[in-house]
Amino acid sequence: MFELDVATRHIRSRRRQTVFSIIAVSLAVAIIIIMMSMMSGMLSLMMESTIENQPHITVFPKENEDYIHLYHGLEKNILDREDVEAISSYFQGEAALQYKHSAEGVLLYGINPDDENRVVNREKDMLAGEFASLANPGSRIILGFKLANNLDVGIGDTVTAQIPGAEPTDFTITGIFQTGTPVDETIAFTNLERLQDFYGSGDVVTGLGVRLSDVYAADTIASRIDMETGYDAVSWIEQNSDILSLLKSSEGLVYLIYIIIFTISGFGIANILIMIVMEKVGEIGMLMAMGASRRSIMLIFLLEAGILGLTGVMIGWILGYVAALAIAAITIPIPPEMYFGMDHLPVEIELKNFITAGIFAMVINTLAGVFPARRASRMDPVEAIYSV
Amino acid sequence: MSDTYIIQIKDLTKIFGNGVEIRALDGVNLNIERGEFLAIVGPSGSGKSTLLNQIGILDTPTSGTILLDGVDVTKMSDKQRSITRNRQLGFIFQYHHLLPDFNALENAMMPLLISGVKSSRAREVASLMLHEVGLGDRMEHRPNQLSGGQNQRVAIARALVNNPSIVIGDEPTGNLDTKSSESIYELLRKLNREHKQTFILVTHDERMAAKTDRIIRLVDGRIAANSHNSV
Repeated sequence: MFELDVATRHIRSRRRQTVFSIIAVSLAVAIIIIMMSMMSGMLSLMMESTIENQPHITVFPKENEDYIHLYHGLEKNILDREDVEAISSYFQGEAALQYKHSAEGVLLYGINPDDENRVVNREKDMLAGEFASLANPGSRIILGFKLANNLDVGIGDTVTAQIPGAEPTDFTITGIFQTGTPVDETIAFTNLERLQDFYGSGDVVTGLGVRLSDVYAADTIASRIDMETGYDAVSWIEQNSDILSLLKSSEGLVYLIYIIIFTISGFGIANILIMIVMEKVGEIGMLMAMGASRRSIMLIFLLEAGILGLTGVMIGWILGYVAALAIAAITIPIPPEMYFGMDHLPVEIELKNFITAGIFAMVINTLAGVFPARRASRMDPVEAIYSV
Repeated sequence: MSDTYIIQIKDLTKIFGNGVEIRALDGVNLNIERGEFLAIVGPSGSGKSTLLNQIGILDTPTSGTILLDGVDVTKMSDKQRSITRNRQLGFIFQYHHLLPDFNALENAMMPLLISGVKSSRAREVASLMLHEVGLGDRMEHRPNQLSGGQNQRVAIARALVNNPSIVIGDEPTGNLDTKSSESIYELLRKLNREHKQTFILVTHDERMAAKTDRIIRLVDGRIAANSHNSV
């Protein structure tokens, strides 16, 4: 195939420009791989944190009702469904917690710790004490790390819970948790029965948390529960729809940036090819006189674009991989309670990002080669030969 | 008759129109015999190169027909023209137009590679051809390492490597000194006799023209004289 021969010789004869255009492509590919890896990392961190730190489906009382009364039956109904792994009923109420002269408004969650741990692994978030200590229906409480800081309390201290129309009740702190999210400042857990007593509500709950084996089935299962039981079942996807749609729209913006970066590198390739075409006019004419078809002439320059692009992509892959590894190794000096408790930049190196960046680059580089290649193939052989 | 004539040109007219109409060729009729060694002469702008480009099917006429080996090339598609150029025609221009990034051997191989001949076979044939033009010891040299005369010899080897029936030369010695010109002329003449190919040369050099079989003199796009030489 003489076209490949001619193409490689052209590229080799312009060593400096070749090197620069390859650098441009590889930098573009590397930058995009890094961006994609960080996006993937951030996305899966957010997803994981969302999926792991909240029930996949939350069932709320029927419209115009404050409580779910016969919740044991509802628990059984939901547990019997396919894909449902665990269920945890809870009673939620607002209260003020007081310690000495400090007071904070909190959301009190009454739960059964075994059930709750099966739906959301609270035990892994424990900084001190054990979540299971709430199994005892005594007056025990577990606070978020920031809430404990704000009240200036620690394990063993006793805080007083107050609500309008009820006697203030003392709770002993048996644990402190940290999730790295805002709930660390606003939530406290206690035993379900104890909280029902405190609010004088009787054996009712305000909601049920459900864990699924397939998180992406949450919407379907939630709407089925909703339809069949009449209770208001909301999936994690619906609860986080704002964040998810924000992520989606930001993805579009990121792709726009990818296109811009690749287009810039594509111009580098177009530039060197236009220069070669201009320089080789007589040669192109002579190739035509020797019987090279217009298709062959076009192929020569498309091959040149392809060779430059492919070399750039491969170097870019290596650069991107090394850079992503290096970035993942950097420790960020920020307090761990911020940003989902991360102390590293969330980098996820995925094969699909390399493939996407590679295909993206090759498409744009080939397009960059089309204009010079067409120009060369449409030359009038007589004009080309006598132009020298 | 087409057995005798490898080229038959009938009423060939080429008009270049760019605002002002220029008749570069004006009703040219010409038959060329197989194996002829022919010179086209004439003043600048008389249409010599235009006629040569028509015969070489590098350009299309405004009207008229050109039969190469009995086939009307003016009606060919772009692809057929490329194939015909590759198989039946060899070109030598005033400027050698060698590919600067390839050595002499690779340059001479190019028409064979274009026609799809295997690289090893092309190398063999091109090497023989370079020996024939006297460059057997310069095959690995690139154009910038060879003299003007040597480059023109490579161009000749390249023009003949596909064993074309017609070789076209547009001022093939125009860029060379007298001594090199003469040796190139002698080489072309020798190849013409040995290979029995038809050679059509455009030249300004009346001395060289006088040594060919026939001189076609063009003036204002018309054949003003058509005379056989007694060589």
